[in-house]
Amino acid sequence: MMTGLGATMVRAGRRLLSSLPALFGVLVFTFLLMRVLPGDPAVFFASGPNAGKEEIEQIRKQMGLDKSVPEQLVFYLSDIGRGNLGRSMMTGQPVLKDLRERLPASLELTFTALLMALIAAVPLGVVAALRPGSIVDHGVRLFCALGVCVPTFVSGLLLIYVFYYLFGLAPDPTGRIDVFTSLPPQHTGFLSIDFLLAGDIEGWWTACRQLILPAVTMALFVIAPLARITRASMLVSLGSDFVRTARSVGLSWRKVVVTYALRNAILPVITIAGIVFSTMLGANVLVEKVFSWPGVASYALDALLSSDYAPVQGFVLLMAGIFVLVNLVVDICYGIADPRVSIG
Amino acid sequence: MRFVSFRLAPRVLATTALLLIAAAPSQAQTRAETLRYVTGASVNTLDPNIPGSTRESFALSMSTYDRLVAFGRKQLNGKWVFDLDKITGELAESYDVSPDGLKLTFRLRKDAKFQDGSPVTAEDVKWSLDRCVTAPILGKAQLLTGSLTSADQFKVIDPLTIEVTLPKPDKLALPNLATVYPMIINSKLAKQHATADDPWATAWLKENTAGSGAYMIETFKPGEQVIVKRNEAWNRGSPGKPAFFKRVIIQSVPEPATRANLVERGDADLVVDLQASDVQSLEAKGKLKVISTPQYNSITFVSMNNQIPPFDNVNVRRAIAFALPYDDMFKAALFGRGAPLYGASWPDGKPLNGIYPFQQPVKLDLDKAREYLKAAGLPEGFSTTFSFNVGQASTAEPMAALVKESLGKIGIKVDIQKLPDAQMSTQINEKKLPFFTEGIVAWLPSTDYFYRNFYTGNQRWNYSSINNPDLAAIAQEARFEPDKAKYEEDGRKLNAMHADLMPQIMLWQPNQDAVMASSIEGYTYEFHRQVDYRDVSRK
Repeated sequence: MMTGLGATMVRAGRRLLSSLPALFGVLVFTFLLMRVLPGDPAVFFASGPNAGKEEIEQIRKQMGLDKSVPEQLVFYLSDIGRGNLGRSMMTGQPVLKDLRERLPASLELTFTALLMALIAAVPLGVVAALRPGSIVDHGVRLFCALGVCVPTFVSGLLLIYVFYYLFGLAPDPTGRIDVFTSLPPQHTGFLSIDFLLAGDIEGWWTACRQLILPAVTMALFVIAPLARITRASMLVSLGSDFVRTARSVGLSWRKVVVTYALRNAILPVITIAGIVFSTMLGANVLVEKVFSWPGVASYALDALLSSDYAPVQGFVLLMAGIFVLVNLVVDICYGIADPRVSIG
Repeated sequence: MRFVSFRLAPRVLATTALLLIAAAPSQAQTRAETLRYVTGASVNTLDPNIPGSTRESFALSMSTYDRLVAFGRKQLNGKWVFDLDKITGELAESYDVSPDGLKLTFRLRKDAKFQDGSPVTAEDVKWSLDRCVTAPILGKAQLLTGSLTSADQFKVIDPLTIEVTLPKPDKLALPNLATVYPMIINSKLAKQHATADDPWATAWLKENTAGSGAYMIETFKPGEQVIVKRNEAWNRGSPGKPAFFKRVIIQSVPEPATRANLVERGDADLVVDLQASDVQSLEAKGKLKVISTPQYNSITFVSMNNQIPPFDNVNVRRAIAFALPYDDMFKAALFGRGAPLYGASWPDGKPLNGIYPFQQPVKLDLDKAREYLKAAGLPEGFSTTFSFNVGQASTAEPMAALVKESLGKIGIKVDIQKLPDAQMSTQINEKKLPFFTEGIVAWLPSTDYFYRNFYTGNQRWNYSSINNPDLAAIAQEARFEPDKAKYEEDGRKLNAMHADLMPQIMLWQPNQDAVMASSIEGYTYEFHRQVDYRDVSRK
């Protein structure tokens, strides 16, 4: 058992190392892409009432834009090598600090939403697969279609309108926590965990209440792919020989469905969940905007709109890194769900 | 099946509701003594002098730092607005202007202290003003407009007296000292954080304050929120008292609909940047106080590049000026919330006064527009692009559609171009856009200031790229004109030239719509178009 785990770790490490060239490619590509986009960030940031040529030049110098592109690339790479992602013009902070502060907010939201989506989607998919073509199946299909075709900013605003504005049940949709609540000492950056660690149940509840609406908004959007893939792979596995055999030897319904069919059907769901997670992290920009959620996606969008190079580059690098990690985690989960699969 | 799902639905709703309602919000702390201000933008630096700083940063610095002097306030159509002509002391107890206008002497308040408890001295004032004109910061370009350019101009007379000398009697020298940039910094504290590369401590002051203002920073999260607490020792408020609110929360809420919801539900106290449609519906409901002030120091206009054909032809510009559907645009973009700058009648064909901005004698008249096009030698019209930036899309998009439709009637084919903000500013700076809409603001709205900055030279703010030596000469002369009647005459000449040359077409002054809880009082429209938190109080 120990040797098995050790071997997995070694292979995982090798996988991470082998993804470095890809990360490097992403790095250079984003750098070049930002440079060829139209719009001069120096002019944009020098937009004060009296900013003239001198100020523009000064900002250009400050951002390192006065040098040639190859030179800039060399400086950028050596900065990255020293763990320096540059400084954001928008917030005036180092990008690394911004990302470190904002990433937990995005992760907490995405994890919660993914968990909610999985809890809803897997049973829905299973139920739909058990009675294909029935009214339940159609109901699930309708629900999924609604979830995926209503854009998140619409469902988000709608939820705010109903739960906050009309009934006053939800807290005001601004940020991760009520402005009047003081923050717990930071350990993980996940407020729902930090409050528990601090033993502050009331604070924990405040943070959770704040999390519900945005997470539901996100979850609604991704239930569809998860439920559809669950249904499809459940159908395949329900029709397979081993399920027929299990049924014929008279095993209980629950045992057949949960242990045999679902266990086999869950692999594609894990894969899709991994992909869904990575896309959610970047795609929840609209949810973050609507709920004033201080996450990385809305930060990157603001940066992109104002041609603030450093944060965009930092964000893309972060996303690429997370994507590599998620892929690895998915592979490890695969190994656990089906021991025949090993990561190589 | 159907019955089940129908019965289930309310139960699911009720459970969700219970979950959300279970814990009452903990609004324990002195809610009445806290001002919660929500805004779409964010504070990105504590020193407004840093290039790239936002307007929210300007507003914050007004409360965390004091200046030597401040603008007074006056009533304009029953609403409080800042008064450019009434300058009162802030850190200065009193000031004198010498008869020749070349010397300004400021005597500091004896009781003024920085937030760390040390007294405010003339040395601090000198260091701060020196910084403003010497360091590579935004203040430099601003103070230039008031003939304040060199550290030699600031002299310490005694620990509580400082003298400012001017090369010429400049009307804008004193008002400039009341603007955002020349804030007075605790020089001893700042010097401790200065380095050889950064002698003016710009890096440190970006993230720290060293002022004597009414509020002190409690938490500062760029892009999210800033919380400030009251400086109890500050007594520069109206009757010698500290500011009203014990705490002010300045929170960034990017979604405008959410800002409207927050203030309507009473969770936020004050907001100034809502969409015009939201303001209108909130006003109609009548629960909140809505104070709409035309931004009398700002203008929205349609600009034409006077150097690019066919807009280099004055008759083309005149044709456009008579082909814009002003009323429809005003309604579509702003729901009529603002002061129009079109449709004036000049009985004898001359400007009514020398004040800029002024109402132009233009209105929608397609026949006249066609005549001008014919006179320009383009009776068949031409093709062009009309640009606006994404940041202004909510007002500019409907406007652009109307421009396109109306110009189409006289044969001018318009392509609408929506540009990201950074791209738009780059193209404006490079003078590449032929035809576009923009807005301008002047902190110190005097006629000569407007004309010098927005209608002369090759800098970015000369949107129309107009190059008229006569206009430039009059604007330059007017700057130092001590005689009021003559100044007025210069203003009339400039306005007449504007109406004739039509370098760009002024449309309107949009309202600043401040929406607030009915208990909030004292809101004043300030030159920086943000809320000065020291102005407001709660009943």
